[in-house]
Amino acid sequence: MSQASSIVTVQSRSALWRTLGCGIAMTCALSAGQALAQQTIRFGAPLPLTGALAPEALKQQQGYDLWAEVVNRAGGIDVGGKKMKVEIIYTDYQSNTPRAVQAAEKLISQEKVDFLFSPFGSGAAKAASTVSERYGVPTIASTASSSQVYDQGYKFLFGTFTPNETLTSPLTDIVRKAAPNVKRVAILARNDLFPLAIAQEMEKSAKSRGLELVLFEKYAINTMDHSSALAQIKAAKPDWIFATGYINDLVLLKKQMGDQRIEAPVVTMIAGPAYQEFIDAAGAGAENISSAAWWHPASQYNGTDVFGTTANYVKLFSEKYKSVPDYAQASASVSGALFQIAIEKAGSLDKAKVRDAMAAMDVVTFWGPVRFGANGQINSLEPPVFQIQGGKAVVVFPAAIKQGDFKLGVK
Amino acid sequence: MNWRRDALLLGAVIALGVLPWVGQPYTLRLGTFACMYAVLAVSWNVIGGFAGYPSFATAAFFGFGAYAGGIMLTRGYPLAVAALSAGAIAFAAAVVMGAVLLRLRGHYFAIASLAVAEVLRELTNSATELTGGGMGLNIPFDAASGGGVVGEATYYFRAMWLLLIVTLVVVLYVQRSRLGFGLACIRQNEAAADMIGINATLYKSLALAFSGVFVAMAGTLYAGWVHYIEPPDVYDILYAVKPIVMVLLGGLGSVTGAVLGAFAFLGIEELVWRNYLQIHTGMLGLLVVVLLLFLPQGLVSIGPRLAIWRARQRREAPRGG
Amino acid sequence: MYTLQILVNGIVLGCLYACIAAGFSLVWGVLNVINLMHGSFIVLGSYLAWGAYNTMGISPWLTVLIAAPLFYAGGYLVQRGLLNRVIAAPVLVTLTLTFGLDLILNNAMILAFRADYRSLILDPPLGTIAMGSVVVPVDRLVAMLFALVLTGVLYLILRRSRVGRAIIAVRLDRDAATLMGVDVKATNAAAFGLGAGMAGCAGVLMALIFPISPLSSTAYLGKAFVVCVLGGLGSVPGAVLGGLLLGLVESFGAMAFGPEHAVTLSFSLLILFLVLRPQGLLGKRGFE
Repeated sequence: MSQASSIVTVQSRSALWRTLGCGIAMTCALSAGQALAQQTIRFGAPLPLTGALAPEALKQQQGYDLWAEVVNRAGGIDVGGKKMKVEIIYTDYQSNTPRAVQAAEKLISQEKVDFLFSPFGSGAAKAASTVSERYGVPTIASTASSSQVYDQGYKFLFGTFTPNETLTSPLTDIVRKAAPNVKRVAILARNDLFPLAIAQEMEKSAKSRGLELVLFEKYAINTMDHSSALAQIKAAKPDWIFATGYINDLVLLKKQMGDQRIEAPVVTMIAGPAYQEFIDAAGAGAENISSAAWWHPASQYNGTDVFGTTANYVKLFSEKYKSVPDYAQASASVSGALFQIAIEKAGSLDKAKVRDAMAAMDVVTFWGPVRFGANGQINSLEPPVFQIQGGKAVVVFPAAIKQGDFKLGVK
Repeated sequence: MNWRRDALLLGAVIALGVLPWVGQPYTLRLGTFACMYAVLAVSWNVIGGFAGYPSFATAAFFGFGAYAGGIMLTRGYPLAVAALSAGAIAFAAAVVMGAVLLRLRGHYFAIASLAVAEVLRELTNSATELTGGGMGLNIPFDAASGGGVVGEATYYFRAMWLLLIVTLVVVLYVQRSRLGFGLACIRQNEAAADMIGINATLYKSLALAFSGVFVAMAGTLYAGWVHYIEPPDVYDILYAVKPIVMVLLGGLGSVTGAVLGAFAFLGIEELVWRNYLQIHTGMLGLLVVVLLLFLPQGLVSIGPRLAIWRARQRREAPRGG
Repeated sequence: MYTLQILVNGIVLGCLYACIAAGFSLVWGVLNVINLMHGSFIVLGSYLAWGAYNTMGISPWLTVLIAAPLFYAGGYLVQRGLLNRVIAAPVLVTLTLTFGLDLILNNAMILAFRADYRSLILDPPLGTIAMGSVVVPVDRLVAMLFALVLTGVLYLILRRSRVGRAIIAVRLDRDAATLMGVDVKATNAAAFGLGAGMAGCAGVLMALIFPISPLSSTAYLGKAFVVCVLGGLGSVPGAVLGGLLLGLVESFGAMAFGPEHAVTLSFSLLILFLVLRPQGLLGKRGFE
């Protein structure tokens, strides 16, 4: 009997010590984030390195790294006369929005970053912006287009994507002009913040221009088979098929469209065709698929940022990564470049001053003219509309950088 | 069942309440997660450890609580009211659900409970007017939290900490009650339990209900804490799997083990996440594997194992000397 | 008017699902192990097919034959080395163990292959066949046939070969099998190896149809779960029936209720079956 009770006592005592020990150890380990003398400017970048959004993280990282490298090669950012180099602190939020919020807080309060890049996408950016707003850390969202992200009245959040309707409106106008016979529109959207939001904008654009919406269906995240939805679309005989989702969804959709021999004069997909990976994966079936994005490497802007002209940005990117940049990487790079311009204008790292400089921004960059609206979202871009022709993305709008005409017929 | 051990456990958890006075907001965030994980683990232990039914319904309860409570929060109800309501509905629903699902055993029950989470997630996704669907739900800041980073962090830490204490008190009470005794009988041999007059269906349903009520309340607190929820985030299957891993790490069937396992798991997760960027998931997996292979009875068995090892040393020493 | 097309889609899809699930069902039914690495094994098979085709020009149909022994050997080792140590432990321990192992495997794949999506595009492409108003892609059709052949081979192995009969013997009564001279450890390892082999081959076939990425493993696992419950554990014909049922329900469900509800439908069906007929269509009653 005493043997048993002594084991139990040992167990309970050691259990107590262990619980307290865990707690104390944790507290110590975490409070040990000492701030050393400021040598570099620290930027926090939470990325979805694992989980469903991992493909996007790769692109963002490329964009940020390129900017850091170019800036540091030139000596760093000029902070009131003193040049300071740039350091990017990455952390993985596992494509999980609550983790993104935690990552933002960790970067701000533990890693003591000066400025923050938002996590990928609209949902996570919105959630994490709460943290950065509370701490007063200027944050740029490089991949958040839905205006709902910016509707909380925050002062420290800025975004480099214009609202979704800036993509769908010019697209609809171009299609109407190039193909007046296109009347029937079918929309298939992924049931997720951004793809659904932009599909709803498309619906509005289509209806406002008198097109007939013959079908609007949503598909669940992680859908492995779209045959039924596509069979319904085929039966509705649309002239224009508009599909939204992420690259894996759209590649699968295009393949299955080919499998069922679905053809239409116009097929638009957002947001995959801008990526070379989509063109590679879809093969011949990608021909004449149209899309819109916030930037295209064929743009010809003459920027006052560290990259200068768009052509120069493309050149620097291609040298480093052996591939042509798309809008995702460019947006990440310009986020860094905008921070640089704001810091240099403010002449200090003071968060409030940098924030004010950002809000008053009015420059031309390789990304395009940059002016932020009152809610922090950029409102000065003219998003290009493009089409895949001959295995390459060809710009058809705006006229200033047009590379080709809009073609009909997708097989 | 040991009063001293349980009192020590409660004492340790209550002592955790000093955290807001010694820690920064990030530490408080971790503390809040620790309490939340502990609530999930201790709750799961009721159906998985006491009753022996491997439930994966934790994700369903959590998500349900997050949305039910979250919607109430958006309508302006205070946090306590929202949490208690979500908990009450979850309790009732679990009793009903239990009566149907708990006729299944072992693997089948596990799958059914998992499926419930999937169905609930998709239903939440479809009810766009109520829940925001795939676009997520925004939950406004609670004025009671006092605003500011420290105020918010303290407020939610206190809420989750209180929830943990309440959960522990109730679960420890259940363990000592008739219900707890009945569940232990059911775990060992359900047919025999039936024969000695234990109403197995009722007891099991109550166990499922107790395993769900606090999880749902934790979900509501969580929703208020992060201010923005989406169905894939709160119905995440990991909320079903992690409590099980925590309990196994700590020691199946033991309430202390569940709390220990939860804290240890959080500590491991955080350490691994901070120190390894590319391989942190792999490291976590490795640790889980190692712990399972070498400590199959969990952390609470370290004590007895050490005692046995020490006894063995003492016995062998005279021979060596 | 397009009901026939949906029917054909459902059947083809169903056979693919059956192939995905057959190995999983075997391991679960015989070893009582829920192998959470199954999805990752499939993805690994897909990468094998992609690599073989794009670096050495080996046709996927041939890669299937390479994948089978390769994955069998891998599975055998994993079972013998790791899982066997906890084979007698409660369900949850093995589940958690495979959960941890899957975390490692998935992380390794992301590191090795990058977390992007690739496609295996055959050159020249196989095209489509039209039969009346119904259009069927040839690659899915051939994959479906291969899937059926593979499940048939598995069935024959279980029924006719020594190893297979030992597996069934161990499942029916472990102690009696030991008394009969069956090496239970080796048999368990063989069973797991067969499951892994099937997963690898399924992965090779899936490479032609779905985008390849480490991120797809949970999707495959989810389907395998549902098919197993519908069809019954440990039964190869059950996997085929379960797969067909799931494929048809998803296809017709999407038509009737809209594509966003296809997933809800499959899981609701799952719950329904569990409540009304837990052993599935062809499983044996009472086997837990």
